[in-house]
Order: sequence, then structure tokens, then C-alpha cells
Amino acid sequence: MDKTKKPKKVFVQGPINPDFVAKSIASHQSKTGIGAHALFLGQIRADQKEGGVVTGIEYSAYEEMAEESFHQIRESAFEKFDLICMHIYHSLGLVPTGEISLFVFVSSKHRKVAFEASEYIVEQIKANIPIFGKELVSEGGYVWKENS
Amino acid sequence: MNVQVMYFGMLSETTGLQSESWTLNEQVTVGTFREKVEEKYPLLKGKKFKIAVNKQIATDSVLIGRLSELALLPPFAGG
Repeated sequence: MDKTKKPKKVFVQGPINPDFVAKSIASHQSKTGIGAHALFLGQIRADQKEGGVVTGIEYSAYEEMAEESFHQIRESAFEKFDLICMHIYHSLGLVPTGEISLFVFVSSKHRKVAFEASEYIVEQIKANIPIFGKELVSEGGYVWKENS
Repeated sequence: MNVQVMYFGMLSETTGLQSESWTLNEQVTVGTFREKVEEKYPLLKGKKFKIAVNKQIATDSVLIGRLSELALLPPFAGG
């Protein structure tokens, strides 16, 4: 089980590959205490900005602080919810529009805990992790992204 | 005392730097440092940013200790 509280690697360079998501699901087949998985995938949207349409986001982070903050979120989620497994991955560098930049994967015995924990974790990530994003636009410029 | 200050995201563009060393008096608070950094880089005024001391978001009343690592953090954009 993944309940050991060692810091885990969250950041991946570039987009998160859908094959990786599939393999992550498959790797839980042996954990037969699990009855529910909830997955959240954040995808880059082609928003319309003043300088054109968004073509991708270039992510950067205060990595040492972000890793500590991710660890705190993991610990608080395990405390609040009766989870069996939790995995979080976030992109750094360029993620083109339509590709995946965030993958949150929680597993529990029953569905309600999985739904609630995944929402909690995503909201915590949006609010508390020092990750910064440059939205690149089609006419060549960029806009700094800000979570609402 | 010397402290290391890092600038992230749009703030590294505002200051033209990713990090630099600052010499501060003892007993300086985060609030005082905020005033000093806005004085040095007037373009920071009006920009939203938080200050982390040793990887923790700090309020203005927090005292900055020796060998602290400071970071100016613009709004977060993870997800």
C-alpha cells in the first residue's frame, strides 16, 4: 500500500501521457481492497486572450517548497479521508493545449470518499502550491496565469 | 545579516533576476522587507505577491532570521 508517508516525486517534465494514466490504473489490480478510484485530469484549454488563442502553458515552480506543500496535502488528505492510495503528478515546462498537466488519482473502499478526496486535493493544489504558468498565445506573446 | 531572496514567475521578469543576496538588519520583519523590496523595484508596487520564509508563506509580522531563504511568489497557477 502507499500509506507510507515518504515524500513522493510529483513533477514530470512536459505533458502527462495518457498511457501513463492507463498504466497507473492497471498497477492497482493487485490491490483488491480497493472498490473505487477517482481520477482528476487537468487539461490545457484553448482560451481566447487579447493576443490570440492559448496554445500551451509553460509551468515553473518553486520546486523545493512545492514538494513540501504536496507532501503536506498528501498527509492532510490521508488524515481526513479513509484512502488506500493516493498519487499526484504535475507538469513542469511546456504543456500544449489539449494535453494533461495534472493527474490526481485516489483509491478507497467506497466511492464517496474517493470523490470527496479528489476534489479536496485538487482545490488544495490550486490554492497552495507555488506553481506558476505562462499562457502562450498564438500571436507570439504570453499572459501569466492566475488561479481563481 | 545576509539572506538569499528568490523571485518567481512574473516577478523574476519585474526584477530581472531569479535570485540575489540581500543584506538586512537583525530583527527585520517580512512587512519591512516588503517595503524595502518595493522601494528597490518600484514596478512590484501594485503587483500581488506573497513572501515565503524558509518555504513557508509568512505574514508581515514574521521576523526574518539569519540564513533565511526568502521567496517572492506571484499568484499560483497550478492545475
